[in-house]
Amino acid sequence: MDNTIVALHGVNDLRVEYLPVPEVDRDEVLIRVTKVGLCGSDLCAVYKGTHGDLRIGLPCGLGHEAAGVVTKCGQDVTHVKPGDRVTIEPGTFCRTCELCLTGKHNVCANSSFHGSPRFYPGCLARYYKHKALFVFRLPDSISDEEGAVVEPLAVAVHACRRAEVWAGCRMLVTGAGPIGLLCLSVAKALGATNILITDIKDSRLAMAKRMGADHTLLVTSEDTQCQVQQVQQIMGCQPDITMECSGTKAGLSLGIYVTKSGGKLVQVGVGAPEVTVPLGVYRYVNCFPIAIDLLAKKLVDVKPLITHRFNFEEFQKAFDMFRSAEDGAIKCMISKFTIANIRCSKDFTSHHDNPMVRLFK
Amino acid sequence: MENTYVVLHGLKDLRLETKPIPPLADDDVLVRIKKVGLCGTDLSMVYKGRTGDLQVQYPTGVGHEVSAVVSQCGKNVTHVKTGDRVTVEPGSFCRQCDLCLAGKYNVCAKSSFHSDVALYPGCLARYFKYKAHLIHKLPDSVSDEEGAIVEPLAVAVHACRRAEVSAGCSMLVTGAGPIGLLCLVTAKAFGATNILVTDIKDSRLAMAKRMGADHTLLVTSGDAQSQAQQVQQIMGYQPDITMECSGTKEGLSLGIYATKSRGKLVQVGLSAPEVTVPLVHAGVREIDIIGVYRYLNCYPIAINLLAKKLVDVKPLITHRFNFEEFQKAFDMFYSAEDGAIKCMISC
Repeated sequence: MDNTIVALHGVNDLRVEYLPVPEVDRDEVLIRVTKVGLCGSDLCAVYKGTHGDLRIGLPCGLGHEAAGVVTKCGQDVTHVKPGDRVTIEPGTFCRTCELCLTGKHNVCANSSFHGSPRFYPGCLARYYKHKALFVFRLPDSISDEEGAVVEPLAVAVHACRRAEVWAGCRMLVTGAGPIGLLCLSVAKALGATNILITDIKDSRLAMAKRMGADHTLLVTSEDTQCQVQQVQQIMGCQPDITMECSGTKAGLSLGIYVTKSGGKLVQVGVGAPEVTVPLGVYRYVNCFPIAIDLLAKKLVDVKPLITHRFNFEEFQKAFDMFRSAEDGAIKCMISKFTIANIRCSKDFTSHHDNPMVRLFK
Repeated sequence: MENTYVVLHGLKDLRLETKPIPPLADDDVLVRIKKVGLCGTDLSMVYKGRTGDLQVQYPTGVGHEVSAVVSQCGKNVTHVKTGDRVTVEPGSFCRQCDLCLAGKYNVCAKSSFHSDVALYPGCLARYFKYKAHLIHKLPDSVSDEEGAIVEPLAVAVHACRRAEVSAGCSMLVTGAGPIGLLCLVTAKAFGATNILVTDIKDSRLAMAKRMGADHTLLVTSGDAQSQAQQVQQIMGYQPDITMECSGTKEGLSLGIYATKSRGKLVQVGLSAPEVTVPLVHAGVREIDIIGVYRYLNCYPIAINLLAKKLVDVKPLITHRFNFEEFQKAFDMFYSAEDGAIKCMISC
């Protein structure tokens, strides 16, 4: 059985390739991918060839927001088995440097997301293999699509933990794209009680309202000081925390001016290499179990984010639509071929000896 | 009783004025000023009409780094008495807002350093009247001149506390002016063991070496990224903390590239209102950029460091002037001729 994958060979040069299905090492899991969501960083990779301020090493796989079904496990893998529905925490890291050993593996210099980012193949594939350590079982109450939103949800969880969001805090979210909307949802789950979200598009603010924003503000002018006044007026105070999710100078400037003294501005959005500001959250660490738990317990609802669905063969159309943001596209979800599904008759609700699973009991 | 003091009336327009001293409130203290040190912020006020991104409102006093002797106390003052040697913690705050009540009085929105850029009258005066709770006693082991350095030393103490400097940590200090040099000696007192100081002037780096820097680096050429590589090479690894004390875009950029992932870049120096920096690079390596504003419960610590000889600030005092020579003091400090670091005025 072949592995069909999508690879990036140059700017806007996406190609279907055929590779052998990978063999798994003792500590790895082979997954038949069922859903892949597209992310803003995928757009940057495809249309600009960059990741933050780094150039992508080519050729490069794509897709890191994924859910699938386990088809094969290495000998040492005990916490998942074939047939289990799972999601993955992408990115390898060395587990031996000082950063990894102090629990900061998300910024390990040897990780596949740092240095020269090159991730090959990615999850936009029929089959994907990954270290078992970062394969997480999905409880039945989480759909496949929700499973593919766990990754960006984990970004939001990490941002809120770095910000130390607390019950009763007041928050500004600049940018109502998927990440801003997820930060909104997680902040509410963590108890934030006064959240204002800004964007340059009305349709995104309407979605934000639907997902529970207390207030919204359309920011069309370039006038930061005017926006500062508006935010304070609407919220009735200065926010304790600003989650900057737009990756723009305007968002950063607004955050710098309006956040309360002694407060925090969290740089979630990834912007241009240099930015002029009146003077980053990188991915996540140890946040997947939390993200999964929030979904399982229905403390966050991410389903409204999934606006467009495509089949695997339509990948180019999915990327182009996401990039053009036409039709209010927020999260584009790609599904795999429905032929050659691996069916399993096992009972998925049986208990597994996985500390992550124990969270759900 | 009359007071003679220096007033700033416009750009570079410093004048001596004499006025009666108002009566003391029950919780006020009147001090006879002995020594005043000049600060970069004073220069910015006098020669640029602003400090940070705040415009100076004229007329305004100048001088806030002082040592003095208590002349008179209000009725309710108990912790100092006439004749005591003291220093002053400038910047009043309201003590009622939620920031003050949460122990963050240095950023109280109503503090006098926020609404008006400087005290009026300032400490460059014969006499100065202030609230007793902001008057701190100096022990005998701390000289008058050292007493006038307590204020900038407190800035360095606050910066090191915000950075959570601890034993064994490594540090880059960008900018070897008075604040950078004070951050250097304070960090050593806090236990930092590998400190590299950068500057664009050799003479300042020589002073940094004298005051205990493990390494120095002249940063007159190359871009921030190549300088960051040099820092890593010299120190042996990337520093945990960068204290940005130059107030420049170059210093900030160097800090962003050189600091270890998940480390801290402490913005001690006041930069221009807007700066162009590689902020996303700090984001993706989770380098926290920490603002610092003056000091917060740091005076007792700074005084103690001096009293116990854990820091030596005397080398910083390079020039001395009489009260009447204040214009000359400012001009010399501004021109930085003759290696001027801290100019001390006797009042």
